[in-house]
Amino acid sequence: MRRRLIAGLLGGALLLGGAAGCGIPENTGVQVKGPGPAVEAGSTSGSRGEPPSRSASGTDAEQFVENFLSAAAGEPDRAYQRVRQFLAPSDRDRLQVKQGSEVTLAVVRLTEEPVIVYAPDRTEVTLKVQQVGQLRTDGTLAPPETSTTTYTFELRSQAGREGLTDGGLYVANPPTALLLSVEALETYYQSRTIYFWNNDRSRLVPDQRYLPLAVPDERRVSEVVKWLTAGPSAWLGTAVRRLPDGTRLINNATRTDGRWEVDLEMPEDKVRLEQLGTQLAWSLPDLDGPLDIKIRNQSQEFIPDLERRRLERPVHQLPESFQRFCVYEGAVHPLAYTGEPSGPVPVDAKANRNVVSAGLSRADNRILAALVVSDADRQWLSVGTGTDQVTTFTRSAKGYAAMSRPVWLRSTYRGQSAGLVVADGSLYRFDTQAQLTAVSLGVPGPVTAVAASLDGHRIAVIAGGTLYVAALSPDGAGGTPGPARRLHTRLTSLSAVDWYGENTLVLAGAVGRPAVYEVSVDGARESRLEDKIGARVTHLAAYPANAVGRLGAAMYEANGVAYRSGPFERIQPEQVQEVTPPSAGARAGNPTAPFFLY
Amino acid sequence: MATSPIPDPPTAAPRRHVAARELWRGVHGRSAHLLAGLHQAWRRSLQLRVVTITLVASSLLVGGFAYLIADKITGILVENVETDVRVRLGSGADYAAKQFGLYNQPQETQLQETIEGTVNYLAGGDPQQTTGVIVALVADNHADAIQPRSSPAVNVRPLISPELRETVAGGKVASQIRTGRLGEERTKYLVYGSPVPTKFGQVELYYLVPLARQDATAADVRDTVAATGAALVLLLGLLAGLVTRLVVTPVRVAARTAQRLSAGLLDQRMVVNGEDDLALLAASFNQMATNLQRQILRLEEMSRLQRRFTSDVSHELRTPLTTVRMAADLIFAERDEFDPAVARSAELLQAELDRFEELLTDLLEISRFDAGFAMLDSEPTDLVPVVHRVADRLAGLAERVGVDIELDVPGTPVIAEVDPRRVERVLRNLVGNAVEHGEAKPVLITLAVDDTAVAITVRDHGVGLKPGEEKLVFNRFWRADPSRARQTGGTGLGLSISLEDARLHGGWLEAWGAPGQGAQFRLTLPSRAGDRLTTSPLRLVPADAALPFGGPRAGGLLAIGPGADGALAIGPGADGALAIGPGADGALAVGPGRPGNGGHAEVGS
Repeated sequence: MRRRLIAGLLGGALLLGGAAGCGIPENTGVQVKGPGPAVEAGSTSGSRGEPPSRSASGTDAEQFVENFLSAAAGEPDRAYQRVRQFLAPSDRDRLQVKQGSEVTLAVVRLTEEPVIVYAPDRTEVTLKVQQVGQLRTDGTLAPPETSTTTYTFELRSQAGREGLTDGGLYVANPPTALLLSVEALETYYQSRTIYFWNNDRSRLVPDQRYLPLAVPDERRVSEVVKWLTAGPSAWLGTAVRRLPDGTRLINNATRTDGRWEVDLEMPEDKVRLEQLGTQLAWSLPDLDGPLDIKIRNQSQEFIPDLERRRLERPVHQLPESFQRFCVYEGAVHPLAYTGEPSGPVPVDAKANRNVVSAGLSRADNRILAALVVSDADRQWLSVGTGTDQVTTFTRSAKGYAAMSRPVWLRSTYRGQSAGLVVADGSLYRFDTQAQLTAVSLGVPGPVTAVAASLDGHRIAVIAGGTLYVAALSPDGAGGTPGPARRLHTRLTSLSAVDWYGENTLVLAGAVGRPAVYEVSVDGARESRLEDKIGARVTHLAAYPANAVGRLGAAMYEANGVAYRSGPFERIQPEQVQEVTPPSAGARAGNPTAPFFLY
Repeated sequence: MATSPIPDPPTAAPRRHVAARELWRGVHGRSAHLLAGLHQAWRRSLQLRVVTITLVASSLLVGGFAYLIADKITGILVENVETDVRVRLGSGADYAAKQFGLYNQPQETQLQETIEGTVNYLAGGDPQQTTGVIVALVADNHADAIQPRSSPAVNVRPLISPELRETVAGGKVASQIRTGRLGEERTKYLVYGSPVPTKFGQVELYYLVPLARQDATAADVRDTVAATGAALVLLLGLLAGLVTRLVVTPVRVAARTAQRLSAGLLDQRMVVNGEDDLALLAASFNQMATNLQRQILRLEEMSRLQRRFTSDVSHELRTPLTTVRMAADLIFAERDEFDPAVARSAELLQAELDRFEELLTDLLEISRFDAGFAMLDSEPTDLVPVVHRVADRLAGLAERVGVDIELDVPGTPVIAEVDPRRVERVLRNLVGNAVEHGEAKPVLITLAVDDTAVAITVRDHGVGLKPGEEKLVFNRFWRADPSRARQTGGTGLGLSISLEDARLHGGWLEAWGAPGQGAQFRLTLPSRAGDRLTTSPLRLVPADAALPFGGPRAGGLLAIGPGADGALAIGPGADGALAIGPGADGALAVGPGRPGNGGHAEVGS
């Protein structure tokens, strides 16, 4: 019996021992499963768009200063590092390093050439600048924080190597901000336009951003998507709608076989996604392949062709071309140029009298007409709408001493078309019944000019000799514009403004002498269009270049003479159409107040 | 055995040594005892053997199968995880490669962010959970620029072995199972690594999959299989025990019945149940027992009839014999008056009648033995006078044939609990035979005693006995040489009766003899009636007897050398010596040089 017990135990122990030996082992050796994935041959977009380094300028102080003002350009998280390279080692700690989204670059415009005073022991540099704005990490150029106009710092050679060419220079006693000249902004950044939907999701509103050229092409999609998820520029905030809360790009957008994949964290909504697709298609104008929008790695919106999407969903409802008009002998007349379409004046002849200036616009299939007519030493606003010909006009209840050219907003206010006009130094909104409502901008000084953008949600205003832009949200919040943003330009004595592109304005003023400049909507970029005018520009109208690709065009009036752009030339009376032969002896007048109908 | 004197003072070490030795002896003794017990049980119990063998064999078999099954299931579990992880790792590495492909240099600050985002994304989101898969990204080639990341954020370094890192850093997809503690408890992890190619070199992506669930499942399977296996083995053992018991029990019953049968209980039978093989065995056994019983009874009956016939014949012969005797006595008494020839006949008649009477007496005695009526009438008896008396009685006969009877008896009385009449008869018989076959050589009677037995030997130096005749001499009516006429008055039953008398005492009667060396008979009786004999105080073979094969006698030479035919011969050179050598036909012969001598043996091939 005992024997049997022992045998049983032995068997059991054997069984358990055998079974215990076959669990998952605690540790095993390394098992090689195969070769790893092969390295994909990819283009390496090298260090393109990097600003020159400190030593690149040698001992040339002017070049060094120029390089110093571009040193901060590039990816923002390493801006401080780049600038510190320019600083003398002893002074590097004086630069307070900020992190993350707090990194801002002070974009300045040199108002004078840098003053460099050479001395044996040190070289002093004085910069006279105009603060243009501050470039944030999200690519927006925000209004400047300071109004400092003078920066002074020293240039120093490396200790013990004075006078040697290879030592290079250092900045001592540096400015506390990271300075970036507007030239550097133009050189090392790419201006990009991203689009946000307006509040009723009917229209895309452009928003301007700056992308460092140093960012590789492959990451641009990610950057754009990150901008979109981060929201619009501050001044546009009231006019546009942000993406839903919590929308976030998961890692980077990637490209597989020419197809871009954007993985997002956001609420699933088919309509919103479709709109997001359109938004992305327009915000990424240089992409034309397929785009896959995924939500948490689940494909939700697939755009086979971004180019086709852009064609199917244009940003602006614009007719094929524009027509030029002018006021000639108190009436609106078309202007004819070869290669440009021309048509009859869509204003009934009875109303087309005593016109000072006019604004016409197409909205759907209707013509919106607003005429400033003079009557009894007063100027009145006469507004009418019609399909082909506007026959019925309503005159404003009140006359004004002076009125600017009325502009139609290409957006609607409470379902009605509306326009803006400046009368006696104040900004008014008018509707199709010629009801004028004062619009408060909250800026000092009398308003002298107003212009509305193609999307109808942004306006440019000259008030008190200063240029402002503001977002307009006529579809909500009572139609009051958002906070006006002041633009800092080189121009003075500003007299007229209009939109010259999605993100550019054409601005008339003076740089020493009267000139017409193209100015970016943030005031950073300026380019001269014409400065051989000789007189103050009193009237300015432009057809904005738009995303469809048409070039902009401008016409202005100075000293009672109208000019047109491209090339700038005077508008001859011969171009004015539908003119009844002038009565004998009467001297032919000049066409004035030219404008575009589109 | 600590018998040596212990030095003074006694140190502890030897004591401990002694104690240990004692303990060892105890343990050893016990275990030896146990082993002996086990061995005995093993030899005796068929059931134990069958059950043990079944248990061992089925344990091995079931254990092997259990191991195979558990191993297979574990393998499948791990393989499933591996396949799953491999797919995940592949797509994860692809995803990471795409993500990192946007960077040209490991120093780019957004890269670190992307790594973190990628790792979190691949881990499936929530960085707080610590139970699931851990995704880790390590850049061994860019350790200065890229911080290793894992999601959930734990220190995975200990789990990724240097060998694995080296292998993966060498551009291979590799895996390893490691055990470590990341959360609360030690867990097994399947660590699977793949290189991720980037434009600035290579980083390594690792998936650490906890195998806790698989481990638990494997343990479950193992336990289940082990429990099932153990139950199976126990069941098999039980089954084997039952089946063996089913077979062994009837066999035991049969054995017991056979024992009883052999003990004389001829009525014992087995119980027959059913119609199976065991029932057949029992029935056959019973039939055999019945047949045996019948045969035995028949033989007994026949034997009884024979004995009774002998007894009856003896009795019936007595009456006419008495009459004849009386007439013969009368004639014998008157023989002097007859003519010499008739007188001689009367003498002959008288002598033959004496023998006839003796024969009848012996026949009656032996039939009494056969019938089992012989009764022992034991009493403490001094055997010295008995021996003397026998010698005296036969002195006349001895003198007649010229034989000296020598006595070697102790001076003190030799008391034994015997039947003196029977002992005396036995002695008379033995001494009478010795004198008769003594060939005029002395006859020696020796009496000896020890604690338990007394023994009497009777030695003569007559022709002796041929080998094998030591047993035959006790047969009834046996003659050494049938052609030789019975000259002396022996009936041929004397030794048979003596043997029966010795047996009745519980003693031995044995004979020894060798041709030419005479013979010796030894009677050994227990000192107390009923005791068992184990030894005898006297040797059966006399001291002066030749050794077997003759032996090297004094003066005899052992000769080894070529024999008559030039073959090897070993043996005493002279008469009666041992010879080893080839026989006549070249075969090896070991034996005395010449045949025909006493106490010889011959070995041949």
